[in-house]
Amino acid sequence: MHRFNPEADIKPVWKAYAVPYENKNTVLGALQYIQEKIDPSLAFRYGCRYRRCGLCAVEINGKPAMACYTYAEDGLRVGPLSGLHLIRDLVVDRKSFFEELKKYSLYLEPSDGHNARGTPVMEPEQGARLRSCLECLSCISRCPNRSSGEGFGVPLIYVRLAQLHFDPRDRKDRLAQAKLLGIDRCRNCNKCFCPNGIAIIKDAIKPLLGG
Amino acid sequence: MEILTCHVLCVGGGGAGITAAITAAEQGVDVILASKEPLGYGDTKASMGMMVCPGIEKDDGPGNFYRDMIEGGELLNDARLAHMMAEQATEALQVLEGYGHLFLRDDEGKLSSKVVYATGGHSRRRTIGCPPGGGIAIGNSLRGAVARAGVKVLEEIVVASLLMNESRVTGAVCYDLPRGEVLLIQAGAVVLATGGGGWLYYPHSDCTPGTTGDGFSLAYEAGAELVDMEQVQFIPFGLTHPSAMCGVFVGEPNLAAPAGVLRNRNGEIILENISTMTRAAVTRVMAKELSRGGGTEHGGLLLDLRPNLTSEKGRQLWEVRRKRGQMEVVRLAYGDAAYRWEEPWDVAPTAHYFMGGIKIDHRGRSTAPGLYAAGQVVGGIHGGNRLGSVSLAELFVFGQAAARSAVNDCKGVRFSGFKHADCRREEVELLHSLPGKKGGIPPLRLQRAMQQVMWDKVGLARDKKGLVQALSEIKRIEEAWPQVAVSEQKNYNQEALHAIELRHMLVTAKMVIRSALLREETRGGHLRLDFPGRDDENWCRNIILHKGNGGLEARTEVVRH
Repeated sequence: MHRFNPEADIKPVWKAYAVPYENKNTVLGALQYIQEKIDPSLAFRYGCRYRRCGLCAVEINGKPAMACYTYAEDGLRVGPLSGLHLIRDLVVDRKSFFEELKKYSLYLEPSDGHNARGTPVMEPEQGARLRSCLECLSCISRCPNRSSGEGFGVPLIYVRLAQLHFDPRDRKDRLAQAKLLGIDRCRNCNKCFCPNGIAIIKDAIKPLLGG
Repeated sequence: MEILTCHVLCVGGGGAGITAAITAAEQGVDVILASKEPLGYGDTKASMGMMVCPGIEKDDGPGNFYRDMIEGGELLNDARLAHMMAEQATEALQVLEGYGHLFLRDDEGKLSSKVVYATGGHSRRRTIGCPPGGGIAIGNSLRGAVARAGVKVLEEIVVASLLMNESRVTGAVCYDLPRGEVLLIQAGAVVLATGGGGWLYYPHSDCTPGTTGDGFSLAYEAGAELVDMEQVQFIPFGLTHPSAMCGVFVGEPNLAAPAGVLRNRNGEIILENISTMTRAAVTRVMAKELSRGGGTEHGGLLLDLRPNLTSEKGRQLWEVRRKRGQMEVVRLAYGDAAYRWEEPWDVAPTAHYFMGGIKIDHRGRSTAPGLYAAGQVVGGIHGGNRLGSVSLAELFVFGQAAARSAVNDCKGVRFSGFKHADCRREEVELLHSLPGKKGGIPPLRLQRAMQQVMWDKVGLARDKKGLVQALSEIKRIEEAWPQVAVSEQKNYNQEALHAIELRHMLVTAKMVIRSALLREETRGGHLRLDFPGRDDENWCRNIILHKGNGGLEARTEVVRH
């Protein structure tokens, strides 16, 4: 387990915890056990307890995964999502992405006269699929094209931009936004990773690159 | 210590708090939205995303919907709030779609009778579905809408208590979890949208960890009235193990269709024809069997879906549920045979929703000046039982109403009148001293003790003896609170958060127990083993609680329809 408290520690330490075996127990169950029975100071986030909120995203053996639906096994290394600002133990900063929602207008900008109830709305299936993105931030953590400043939140920004691109009510040119952010760098990368099954390359990157 | 000022403070980062914050901001006042979780990551996002929309089927409308709510709520509903809910539900859908969400449409892109279906307790098909992922998409839209509205957002902030100037609410004393600092927010009006109290029953709850009843407790301490706090909805089918998944929702009664049965630990059938029953009816049968000792080693009953595999219709339904991904959670918890319905599932009811809560008028005003409420923290809309898919619509109807009143009423409030004397110095010092607080008991251990009491004695089935014991055990836990120990780190110290939440949970627990003791009958979500029948002659009454000079005071009021 990855432990780090910036107030007291110079660098993170890896610490071993023994958690009793329980059939089909999950990593989340192991984290809860440690916090409740061994060390109450362990900090980690979780929410819905089964793949609906995205808060328990961590790295398990170096790969982003959701603690709530990964079985606990002997010898697992559990750490925070890498590449994001670390607050403590397994807790990373989530506010920065909210700032990017504002900065890049990652919300519906409805065209005039679009009345939600009266007007028929046909959304392509890709758009509907992108709506189920958990915003767990795993994809940001894995992206080799992520910058430390502007556009820090790619590829999640691209997932949002593509979802809005597919929303027939939205009037903003989302392809142009993606281009400005440098999506051309993604053309031959193919390293996008989503632990929850969002087809980032097929449903977001490719459509934003123009098909 | 940081002090912030705003016209309207909205507490709660789900649908109701977000709607209230955006509505208030649209009227040009300064708004702060304080969320205990990262914004939009709570119960609204974790919901199934189904929303009621009456009037799509030809013979449906607010009148039918209202009657269903009253009948389902077993007459306890506040008629005025239920009317408001029925009449404005359709508008709620438009508000949410305006925030960026899209509900499922038919082949022509319309909301038509082709895309509505019937959920528990509704006499008509009037529920609209979500794209795959349900509430996840709603959470994403809500976050976007807040960003669009330019509302000032404070994430991972817990409100420990409210600031008062005489009897008026003037702001909040908050604890900032990432920084470990105390923060004062002075406000012209405060809207509580903190959600319910499902976490009082952890692990037997399908709610998110933030549902520690904060709003109930804050309102109570501020002198506001609360109504029918004994009414807690348990939804029939939750998992019982492994430990991290106990309480997670697996299905409504219709999951058993067409021929699934419930069995006890000895394999005896205790319930058939489950799929046509309401949540409350199935839960009651299960509660009685569990209290008789019929439960398994995991504290559940066996939902046996094997009979469905012998019919064509049953096999088709399995395929439908497999395609929707509804049973993946069962595969994870119970394995492949259970997933294929070849083995029964160990299930128990799980705490889902608080029907009771802060008493408000039709404008979202509590009985405490300066204090407003919206969403699950409100009581009375649903009476003794909430119908499926109504709680999402509720967020938008009452979120807007509360914000409009708050904006209107805070216009006359002058901020220059705010004095540090209002700051509740003792409270601030207490919060400051939490990181590094010495004591012998981890706060989470006390939380678990309290939750055990609530599940065992104030849960599915209640009686006088158990409730009286529960009250004294809760008081003992309350007395132990000063002995909680918190480690020294200031940043992201969850032990400090757990200690603050525990206080809210204990106040809420006492209200649930006192109200449950008073209601000597069985109605809605409240099952008394010692008073097994519904008593319309004596108990068409609401139980109203408030903080009096001598502590918690209760009275009853005849329900008017």
